[in-house]
Amino acid sequence: MANSNLPRRIIKETQRLLSEPAPGISASPSEDNMRYFNVMILGPTQSPYEGLGSWRSPSTSSCGVVETGGVFKLELFLPEEYPMAAPKVRFLTKIYHPNIDKLGRICLDILKDKWSPALQIRTVLLSIQALLSAPNPDDPLSENIAKHWKTKEAEAVETAKEWTRLYASGA
Amino acid sequence: MTLGSGGSSVVVPRNFRLLEELERGEKGIGDGTVSYGMDDGDDIYMRSWTGTVIGPHNTVHEGRIYQLKLFCDKDYPEKPPSVRFHSRINITCVNHETGVVEPKKFALLANWQREYTMEDILTQLKKEMATPHNRKLVQPPEGTYF
Repeated sequence: MANSNLPRRIIKETQRLLSEPAPGISASPSEDNMRYFNVMILGPTQSPYEGLGSWRSPSTSSCGVVETGGVFKLELFLPEEYPMAAPKVRFLTKIYHPNIDKLGRICLDILKDKWSPALQIRTVLLSIQALLSAPNPDDPLSENIAKHWKTKEAEAVETAKEWTRLYASGA
Repeated sequence: MTLGSGGSSVVVPRNFRLLEELERGEKGIGDGTVSYGMDDGDDIYMRSWTGTVIGPHNTVHEGRIYQLKLFCDKDYPEKPPSVRFHSRINITCVNHETGVVEPKKFALLANWQREYTMEDILTQLKKEMATPHNRKLVQPPEGTYF
């Protein structure tokens, strides 16, 4: 059985993720691999990644209810060294963002050198959600998008909205 | 080093395993005689890869640059990728008409294990070129393709 040696910490975190999900975030482990999570993050309000109607219904905090866009799929894996090493996370939904590359890899300090075992899956996902609200073109992963963002921000934001509409429909 | 194994029950899922392989390939492997990279930087599922093997010393393959195509389907790495030579080559495990590396004649594919990597495949093919039954075979002209 692949999951028989699952550390207590991971079991605890998983239970809490399922019983008290953070607003706009859902994460559930795969049936055949409890270290591998399917994640959905709703684009934050007033960001180019928000769903077209999501701000109208503040009660809609869980994923899957909003069908108008702004639903981003991610995958997350807890490596063997976790929590001494950071979780591995990437976007599966295409997204136009200076800190996320074409393969969905995320440039975020806490996933790299700023990782601490005091952080959790929940804090990682909240940080990614916050990154959507605050793109950081000065520490880019996608050079072209970062350049676009720094030179013509309004236009870049429009492209991000367009991609949200095209790819993050939640379908 | 084997990627994706830890001698324990932790199973690295397909996509994260391929990301590890991608990063390892980008850094460059060993003496550079085998290398690989992804074909389509937009393919979120990282299916198509091109591998390169430089023919080993003291063989008819010496100095030749062989290009291969590797295809990692959804069931990789539980199942091996399909592998075929793009550059023409004459060795026993490669189909003479299609360039496909035939698993029946190439043990690494026939006895595939999940911790094997694309690097292992390319390295093993390089060794295959230097075996007594392959090192002296007459080769098609350099720079021709299947």
